Amino acid sequence: MAQRTLTKRINRVGWLFVIPATVFIFVLNFYPMVSAFLLSLQSGRGNNLKYAGLRNYARLFQDEMFLTSVGNVITYLVIQVPIMLMAALVLATLLNDPKLKGKSIFRTFIFLPCATSLVSSAMIFKSFFSIDGLANNALMALGILKSPLSWLTHPVWAKFVIILTITWRWTGYNTVFYLAGLQMIDRSIYESARIDGASSSRQFFMITIPLLKPVILLTTIMSTNGTLQLFDEVRNITNGGPGIATLSISQYIYNLSFIYNPQFGYAAAVSYAILVMVAILSFIQIKAGGKR
Amino acid sequence: MKRTLYIALTLLLVMTAVFGAGKGEVKPVTTDPDAPVTLTVWCWDPTFNIYAMNEAAKVYAGIRPNVTINVVETPWDDLQQKLITSLSAKATGNLPDIILMQDNAIQKNVMTYPDAFVSLTGKMDLSQFAQFKVDVGTVDGKNYGVPFDNGATGTFIRRDIIARAGLSVGDFTDITWERFIELGKIVKQKTGIPLISTVANEPDFMMIMLQSAGTWMFDSQGKAYIKDNPVLKEALRLTKEMVESGVCLLVPDWNAYIATLNNGTVASTINGCWISGSIQAEKSQSGNWAVTNTPKLGKIPSSVNYSSQGGSGWMVMANSKHPDVAIDFLAQTFGGSIELYETILPTSGAIATWLPAASSSVYSMPIEFFGGQPIYEDLVSYAGKVPNVKYGVFNYEARDAVARALSDVMQGGDIDTALATAQKSVEFLMME
Repeated sequence: MAQRTLTKRINRVGWLFVIPATVFIFVLNFYPMVSAFLLSLQSGRGNNLKYAGLRNYARLFQDEMFLTSVGNVITYLVIQVPIMLMAALVLATLLNDPKLKGKSIFRTFIFLPCATSLVSSAMIFKSFFSIDGLANNALMALGILKSPLSWLTHPVWAKFVIILTITWRWTGYNTVFYLAGLQMIDRSIYESARIDGASSSRQFFMITIPLLKPVILLTTIMSTNGTLQLFDEVRNITNGGPGIATLSISQYIYNLSFIYNPQFGYAAAVSYAILVMVAILSFIQIKAGGKR
Repeated sequence: MKRTLYIALTLLLVMTAVFGAGKGEVKPVTTDPDAPVTLTVWCWDPTFNIYAMNEAAKVYAGIRPNVTINVVETPWDDLQQKLITSLSAKATGNLPDIILMQDNAIQKNVMTYPDAFVSLTGKMDLSQFAQFKVDVGTVDGKNYGVPFDNGATGTFIRRDIIARAGLSVGDFTDITWERFIELGKIVKQKTGIPLISTVANEPDFMMIMLQSAGTWMFDSQGKAYIKDNPVLKEALRLTKEMVESGVCLLVPDWNAYIATLNNGTVASTINGCWISGSIQAEKSQSGNWAVTNTPKLGKIPSSVNYSSQGGSGWMVMANSKHPDVAIDFLAQTFGGSIELYETILPTSGAIATWLPAASSSVYSMPIEFFGGQPIYEDLVSYAGKVPNVKYGVFNYEARDAVARALSDVMQGGDIDTALATAQKSVEFLMME
């Protein structure tokens, strides 16, 4: 009997501890999510909203600007994420070498881009790639370019600059995850592989990658998610231009809400479209990479 | 079961507490005319409209010392964002009493939030402002904006550079864009300097050309008028020709554009007259600049040598606790004080749209920076001849779409196809 009251009391105290966090999650996360979903079912401008069922979602498929922004983001995703993750993996493997000297200095340098603000890194890259910027001057000095290239006003080169900026900013971040993952791998596995005569590259592909699979999966999902929600870089480097050649989905949401006549209902539908895309892509990635 | 109920109830309570808080009604304060009143104002440029607002506050302090004006520096993009967020959330408590609004955003904001702004009709005499500026702030026959700065355009040109090409300011007066390009080729050939610069993929020149012909991207019924709009087609063709012939230098952003003027990279610019402030910032070029009117479209009969770009107006917010004080303040300063305009003109170049101010002797003063030309008098006379257009509710949508058409055409796309795409994209955004 006494045992039961004690359990009860412990439970009650436990609930007290949990309640603040629960309330905050409900109020700051779940409530806005539900409310945004309800908003996505309404159409109209400003506060003049009416329920319109799934019309906003049907509208997405005819919206050429939305489809272009999805295409842009997928281009970033398909090119940038594999390059970045590969680079991060290579860097992590190099940094994990026990014989490497000055390891902490290298690690700091590689992680440093993550400590810079997205906006300032975007502005700096923008100035690098302006007509009289560093990139043009360097390429002309090397004789690769004859006249300055207008990077940011060309649909393809503008995308290139954005991909470069994201890669610079996030490679170090992913490297840290891989480093943590690598340190979990028992050194003795490599030792025995070496005794068996496996080359370094063979060790990398046969031991490192398979054992890092959960971490690789995690970073892939995070990067996919991050790229689909890309905003700061595009807004600050090209503002979506030239035309809408670099427009990201998030920036389109911003335009729909704050630049054009506010259509919050439709903007909410676009953000739910991102959610659905992230969910589908994550599901595919888990299915493809998660077999244990 | 009971426990779940408790939790649910607590949650409900907390949620009501959190979300119910903002709903208190603001009661109008009973008016004692001498009670201290503070009016908050949002505007964005410290050397221009913030400065003018502070000067207006000084003028008003002499009339009603109990009124304090609190100017909060708010960049335009932020201002628009805060305005939309607060009005949509119906949390207007943190909005100011007076805001400055870009001319081309007034229609959009008033149409979307009709109850957010105070109509000035019957409360303030706007008849002495330039008519085209009053019309910009008029929605459904009601006036919402007190016109502030003038957006009348002019060609601002370097006397010294064109002189090296054997040209004078007179050669650029009352000309067409076609002639402007020809002159640009001469300047480029003789001096190596491009005649003009613009921000790449911004359709600023095209907007100037459109208004010079009295047309816009919408017809009189408010329908998108982009496809088969002869003025837009001409504007696209001429802009492309200007860039391809090397007459116009493309720069990536606004700061770079201002730098081309201050560094002498280009010989001229065509913009709203508010650009004179930025031009005069480079003191070493004093005496070298001149102003003349804007080129017109040679092939469009309705086009004249006058247009407008930019410009803004003051609006009184409906959430203000003292709307009458706010209106009186604007009426006695921006709409009634020659003294105010005489103070702000020489230092900030804020050219009035309040016509009585133009009769002030300050306006006819020769400006040394412009080689002794009385540029303010000239610019005010241009302002009187600017064709009237309705920017419409969907101006930003259309501007973006046309910018995209411009980018397509620059990459070698066909003008008609680009404009048809722009038309479709604007129509899509206009749909609900």
